Amino acid sequence: MEDDRSELVDFAVDYATKRGASYAEARYERHDQESFILKNGVLDALYIGDDRGIGVRVLVDGALGFTATNSLAKPDVRGIVDDAVKIAKASRRKSRIVFAHEDAITMNWAVPEQKKLADVPVEDKIAEIRSVDADLTALGFKIPARTFQLSNNRISKYFANSEGSRIRSYSPRLRALYFLTVMAEGGVEQTHRNYGWSGGWEGVRMWDLSKRVLDEARSMQRSLTEGKKSPEGKMDLVAGPQVAGIASHESCGHPTEADRVLGREASQAGKSFIPPDGAGMRVGSEVVNVVDDPTVEHSIAYYATDDEGVKARRRYLYKEGRVAEFLHNRETAAALGTRSNGASRAVNYNVEAIVRMANTFVEPKDYAVDEMLEDVKFGVYMKSFMEWNIDDKRYNAKYAGREAYLIENGEVKHPVRGTVIELTTPAFWSAVDAVGKDLECEAGFCGKSDPGQALDASMGGPTIRLRNVYLR
Amino acid sequence: MEDIASRIVEKAISLGCQDAVADVVANRSYQIRFARNEPVISNRWRESSASVFFVYRKRVLASDIKDLSRADEAVERLVKIAKGSQENPDYAGIAKGPFKYARTRPDPKVVALDEGGKYVEAAIGGALDEGAKECAGSFWKYEDEHFLSTSNGAESHDHRASLYLSIRALVALESSGHGVAAATKLSRFDPAKAGHKAGRIAVLARDPKPGKPGRYPVIFDPLIFGSLSDQVGGRLSAWAVLAGFSPFGKKVGKAVASSQFTLYEDGSADSIGRKRFDAEGVPTRRNVLVNKGVLKTYLHNTTTAKKFKARTTGNAGLVSPEPHALFVKPGDWTKDEIFSEVKDGLWLTNTWYTRFQSYVTGDFSTIPRDGIFHIRKGEVVETWKDVRLTDNLLRMMKNIEALSNKPEQMMWWAEVSIPNFVPYALIKDVGITKSAE
Repeated sequence: MEDDRSELVDFAVDYATKRGASYAEARYERHDQESFILKNGVLDALYIGDDRGIGVRVLVDGALGFTATNSLAKPDVRGIVDDAVKIAKASRRKSRIVFAHEDAITMNWAVPEQKKLADVPVEDKIAEIRSVDADLTALGFKIPARTFQLSNNRISKYFANSEGSRIRSYSPRLRALYFLTVMAEGGVEQTHRNYGWSGGWEGVRMWDLSKRVLDEARSMQRSLTEGKKSPEGKMDLVAGPQVAGIASHESCGHPTEADRVLGREASQAGKSFIPPDGAGMRVGSEVVNVVDDPTVEHSIAYYATDDEGVKARRRYLYKEGRVAEFLHNRETAAALGTRSNGASRAVNYNVEAIVRMANTFVEPKDYAVDEMLEDVKFGVYMKSFMEWNIDDKRYNAKYAGREAYLIENGEVKHPVRGTVIELTTPAFWSAVDAVGKDLECEAGFCGKSDPGQALDASMGGPTIRLRNVYLR
Repeated sequence: MEDIASRIVEKAISLGCQDAVADVVANRSYQIRFARNEPVISNRWRESSASVFFVYRKRVLASDIKDLSRADEAVERLVKIAKGSQENPDYAGIAKGPFKYARTRPDPKVVALDEGGKYVEAAIGGALDEGAKECAGSFWKYEDEHFLSTSNGAESHDHRASLYLSIRALVALESSGHGVAAATKLSRFDPAKAGHKAGRIAVLARDPKPGKPGRYPVIFDPLIFGSLSDQVGGRLSAWAVLAGFSPFGKKVGKAVASSQFTLYEDGSADSIGRKRFDAEGVPTRRNVLVNKGVLKTYLHNTTTAKKFKARTTGNAGLVSPEPHALFVKPGDWTKDEIFSEVKDGLWLTNTWYTRFQSYVTGDFSTIPRDGIFHIRKGEVVETWKDVRLTDNLLRMMKNIEALSNKPEQMMWWAEVSIPNFVPYALIKDVGITKSAE
């Protein structure tokens, strides 16, 4: 790490221990950010961030205190440690928070960059997006509003805790979002898509952004000019990777977050329909496996160790249709008598790490998309969605179609507009009878905690087929 | 700190920038999160940074300088980057000062407050007294101090401090209620009242039955009406209109709501969102956005104002205009009269996850949470669960039939992002849907 603050971080941990903390950790983070929005062909502003600071979390008399500062002067770091101990002591908890055991680790990890983000001039980054925008406008469609956002963030961290863990990491991240409004024949379609990559500038080539944007705009135009009202009633649904992904994130990932299960998020992101003893509960058909995996190389949410210094690994959330494993940090793991599975993350140095998803997706199987379609007599092929939401216990979800087509006798027909999936979590996952092999993931921001932490995440899956579900 | 702001601006101008703004901010906020009836973590921040806005030959750059001890170096680096950026042909400058600002200062008792445990206990106690079993939420003491300087002569200082508490009380997983307390004066901060409200709704919401889809007259509690007014206020930002995130495009001067509905935005009024100035240094003021249902203006900074042939409304953010605090003009109904008006309808107390199928048309849905009550002849006859509000924002605003006479200050995680002063509202013919099993 060019910007080595290990001495200061180690000092914070040692000093907290001397002040009476039974456990202490400190995290230095530096975020070098660049971001811009191209709105209707105009570069509104370029944002440059150079964010850095130290956060300290202590466990004192069974209570947690967290403090943060962006001053890197030793007296200020000493001051936030004093504050953390003081506010933890003032908590007056009746029960004591304990952390599940973890062995101390020393580790350095970094995501490789073929072409370093820092070496690409901002002019080239702007030119890349301008080129996509030019391709889009050349289509000649009526596009009254279009915004593209490109951002990159190079995150360097140094983590230390009072148990002896010392971890350095470097995680360069690249993200592109776009939002389009297309009008035709008196109608309007809108869409937003989000792509992410951990690594260097080569990620832009992996996305093939221009093709994706043009394909999307063409499908919007076609939907407006050829689309018919989506049929209503019970029928089969073939759901594309984007739909499988959002369902994985919302109705598999969130309800298996152990802090939510235990009520810590009750006032904000909510609770879960899965009780603390819900492992083994059936929520889907036997072909449904949903995983959360931070170790997927180059994914936007890749990490080798979490923000409590626990090694990352793949977690099966739903396996063969049953609840398999919760996402844990050390606090929730201890509360439920298990070990952390490395799901503790913070969006920056100035907020506590809490239980979070990383890359959540339906595990692919072996169906080709055509095989799934050809066996459908009547139904809808929903490739993507626009509006979506789910209740705070993660049981009632809605996904409203953006790109969708009628299926008749195994053939994909005309576009359909206004398709709505409004199903309970078990109704959705129990109806799945086929899982494809075409795994695709998109990036997203996952919101949780107070203060809110919009964290890098991705979600996806292969195409999946649901039998006899109610659509409107 | 004041010196740092003006030094940053002077440095940027000396390096060739046409405009420069620096807002040096010291954040000293403090929070207690609680769950399962006790604190789960206490948080405190000691941070200082400068939000800056530099324009070099119409090349616009925004940043946050975190290391104020090396601000000069940061400015040099940022201006160099700005020179390599691209021109924004729409950029129209920043407001010309100097300005006169209102004299405001925070309640010294709020500033001096160092420990919030008793407010958490008061809120939890209120909810448990009503019969709740489990409470979760957050107590906040917000405190930040701003030192602003702009190259167009605006100079000011603003010390802001306020108190906020949000509590959700549960009797069971599907029986819950929510309350909030917000104040800029310690004497007006009443977390126990918020706890009692959350507890009362939770107890009333016992044994919910699956709801029935249809169209109903719906009474909106201030918290959920705040979510709707927040959507209206946020989507009145001129930036949102230009970017396709608003149903209010080309609607200035037209009816967008019922004549019952008047909405104004006012960063200068007493609220936990009070600010003396916007990001260009323009003094905040009262802006009537919707008057008796007719849209009067969007929220503007200098650049968007020029594009719409309007004047800045004092709502500049670093890049896009944004509301500071929203006020729905109260009606002349009492809360009881509103309830009595409903022969067969619903009372919704909170919502979350508001998402749009089309921001341009206003088609959206949102998921009511906490107490959902079926009302007949003004009385609660049943508690419901598992329903969704599926409708159109403009249509709903036009269907407002009654507003109560006592607005309350609402703000809540994710849904009511800025302070909204809102009364009870009665909206007719609201779409309710539910999941298929």
